[in-house]
Amino acid sequence: MSREKEAAGRRPGASLSIDPGYVARIAGVLLGICLMTALLLGVVNSVTRPRIDAIQAEKVRAAMSQVLAADEYLPIRLQKDLRGVQSVFEARAGGGTLGYVVQVTANGSQGEIRMMVGVDVDNRVTGVSIIRHSETPNIGTRVVADQSVLDRFVGMSHENGEITVNSGSNRFDGISGATVSSRGVAAGVNAALAAAFEAASGLVE
Amino acid sequence: MNAGKQLKDGLLTQNPVLVQLLGMCSTLAITTTIANGIGMGLSVTVILTLSNIFISLLRKIIPEQVRIACYIVVIAGFVTMVDLLLQAFFPDIAESLGVFIPLIVVNCIILARAESFASRNHPVAAAVDGICQGLGYTLVLLAMSAIRELLGSGALAGNRIFPAEYSASLIAQPAGGFLTLGCLIALMQWAQRKVKGGK
Repeated sequence: MSREKEAAGRRPGASLSIDPGYVARIAGVLLGICLMTALLLGVVNSVTRPRIDAIQAEKVRAAMSQVLAADEYLPIRLQKDLRGVQSVFEARAGGGTLGYVVQVTANGSQGEIRMMVGVDVDNRVTGVSIIRHSETPNIGTRVVADQSVLDRFVGMSHENGEITVNSGSNRFDGISGATVSSRGVAAGVNAALAAAFEAASGLVE
Repeated sequence: MNAGKQLKDGLLTQNPVLVQLLGMCSTLAITTTIANGIGMGLSVTVILTLSNIFISLLRKIIPEQVRIACYIVVIAGFVTMVDLLLQAFFPDIAESLGVFIPLIVVNCIILARAESFASRNHPVAAAVDGICQGLGYTLVLLAMSAIRELLGSGALAGNRIFPAEYSASLIAQPAGGFLTLGCLIALMQWAQRKVKGGK
């Protein structure tokens, strides 16, 4: 052991001479532990990755058919980059377009709210589904985990301007005590309506 | 090493939360429902035990100067593993615990046990220490979350006990977490003093 060298290195006023072998030993141990950990993580990741991806894909698929049931969903790319819009799908059934399904990310009170919004060809909301959120249990979840609250968006549009929470002509009645979560979800629906409008206007790549 | 004493230490006399006052952040943040409390408690127990065993095994190899860096790498590795496994096999728990699983890396209970116990003891003793301290943490989370879920939302483990309209939602909010924890710590101090006085 190099306890004596360590002690010498700490003594005030001692000349600063670093033994390369000693430094290499410390660095080597740290590197070894990092490599071992990385190897283990790689193994765990290779086992869990397909399952996690499958669970996520299943959730997205379930959310899509919940907000706007259709035979197939074709991914489309908008010309404009809209804030919060992750992906847009054209919902088709029997050769015709039923509307658009938009995956958006909005800011909640504790983090991102990932949600799926269905919009029909008349640019009205057909459904809202939350894919992932981190809102406070019993507070924010009274908005994001309560389907009856989310269903209040059904039928809303941008005819009278953007949806605003507890005010204005296009009003969404939020949950008191969960204002930030209510606003977050409303902002997500607004972004989805804007994206669907772009898609319906043919502003796609 | 005396496993019985370690158990008593972990659960009562050296309880990580109520006596050592470690891991406050997660204790306050996630104890809003019993399911969260148990999920977090067991996750920390597993990670604590694993990291204790490995750090104890490596205790003669790890140089003193870089020991904290080594501990953090080992702990972060296990946390990431548990996070991935939870996401793959228990997606519901992973979703409700959200960001608090990755934050176990900086849960000071784990680093404190690595530094003060695992790095000085045999792997078996370190494993027992991890389990006992983890159980102590889990028990406190369970008590906190039961109190907060019942008073804050009128339910217990998701079963409604009384209508939500009569609940004190303050208890479910962060301020209520501090109040509940303060009361539990006071109760613990009182009980310890009473036991000591009786001797």
